Amino acid sequence: MLILLAGIFGIHIIGIIILLVATIDNAWWMTDVISTDVWARWIQTSGVWNLTDLPTGSHYPQDYLQAVQASSVLACIFSIIGIFVFLAQLFTLEKGQRFTISGAFQLLACLCIMIAAAIYTDRFHLDENDGWYGHCFILAWIAFAITFISSIIYFVLRKKTA
Amino acid sequence: MLTFVALASVLLLGIVPEQTEAISIYTGWERHALLGSDVRLSCSFFSWRGTSDDVTFSWTYRPDGSRDSISIFHYTSGQAYVDNKGPFRDRVEFVGNPGKRDGSILIKNLDYNDNGTFTCDAKNPPDIVGRPSSVRLLVFETVPIQAGVITGAIIGVVLGLLVLIVVIYYLMRFLVARRVFSLSVSKQGKKKREGTQARQ
Repeated sequence: MLILLAGIFGIHIIGIIILLVATIDNAWWMTDVISTDVWARWIQTSGVWNLTDLPTGSHYPQDYLQAVQASSVLACIFSIIGIFVFLAQLFTLEKGQRFTISGAFQLLACLCIMIAAAIYTDRFHLDENDGWYGHCFILAWIAFAITFISSIIYFVLRKKTA
Repeated sequence: MLTFVALASVLLLGIVPEQTEAISIYTGWERHALLGSDVRLSCSFFSWRGTSDDVTFSWTYRPDGSRDSISIFHYTSGQAYVDNKGPFRDRVEFVGNPGKRDGSILIKNLDYNDNGTFTCDAKNPPDIVGRPSSVRLLVFETVPIQAGVITGAIIGVVLGLLVLIVVIYYLMRFLVARRVFSLSVSKQGKKKREGTQARQ
C-alpha cells in the first residue's frame, strides 16, 4: 500500500521535474552553433556562446511563441499545485472517494504542455533542415505522456485507510 | 579584554564617518518615449548631510555608439544653466527642486538622434564622493509592448479564471448548505412544538 503511494507520488514528482527542465533549459532546437528554446537563443561565435534574443519575423511568429511560453509555464504551475492538492486530499478525503481534483490538475497540466509542444512542432523551424530537436523538446513530449498517465491514475485510484 | 574593546571602538569610529560621507544618486534605468514628445529624466540623491546651499547637479549626454560625452545641463549656486550650443539647444528645461534634492530635467520634442545615455552627477558639499547614475533613453515611433508582458498576461488570466471558478464553486456550496441548514432547523422547531403540544 505504501509502495503504491510512493510510486504515484514519484511519478508526479518526476513529471514536475521533467516539465521544469523542458521549460527552463535551453535546448528545444539545436544546430552546430545554435541552441534555442522558447525564451532566448545561444549562438556560438568563435568558441564563445552568446545569449541573443529570438528572431522576429514571419518565420518566427511572435504570438505563437507567446502561446508556447504561457502554456508551458502554466503546465508547470498546474502540476506543482496538483502535488500539493494530492497531499491535502490524502489526509482529508473520505474513505472510498477518488482523487478527482488532483487528477483534474494533472490533466490540465497535460493539456497545457500538449498545447505548447504541438504549437512549437507545427509552427517553428519548418524550413530549417540543418538542425535537430534538442532534449528539452523531447522532454516536453515525455512530460505530456507522464502527466496523462498520472492523471488517469488519480481518476481511478480510491482512498483506503492505510 | 581592554585592548579588544579599544580596538573595536577605534574600528567603529573609523568606519562610521566613512559611511556618512558617500552620496547615492538615483535615476531611472531606461526611459521609453514617443517621437516628438517630451520626456522627464528624474535624478535625486541621498546624502547623510543636510542639503547644502552649494548643491550642484550636472547632466551629460552620450549618444548611442559614441564614446564622447557632452555636458547639457548644470545647476550651481542656485542657478540652472541649460544647453545653448549643443544638440539639445533650447530643448532642455530644469523641472527639479534642489531644496528637495530633485535635479530632474525635461527634454522637449524628441528626435531619433536623442537615443543615448544621460548621466546625472549630484554633489552636496562636503558630501562629494559618489557614483554618477545613468538612464538610457529610447525613442520610438510607437511604444512597443515588452516581450514578457503578453505571456504574463495570458498566464495571469488563466490562473485568475481558475481562482474565480474555485471561489464560485465554494460559494455555491456554502449558500446551498446554509439554505438546507435553516430549513432543517425550522423543521426541528416545528417537531418540538408539536411534541410539547401533544404531551399537553
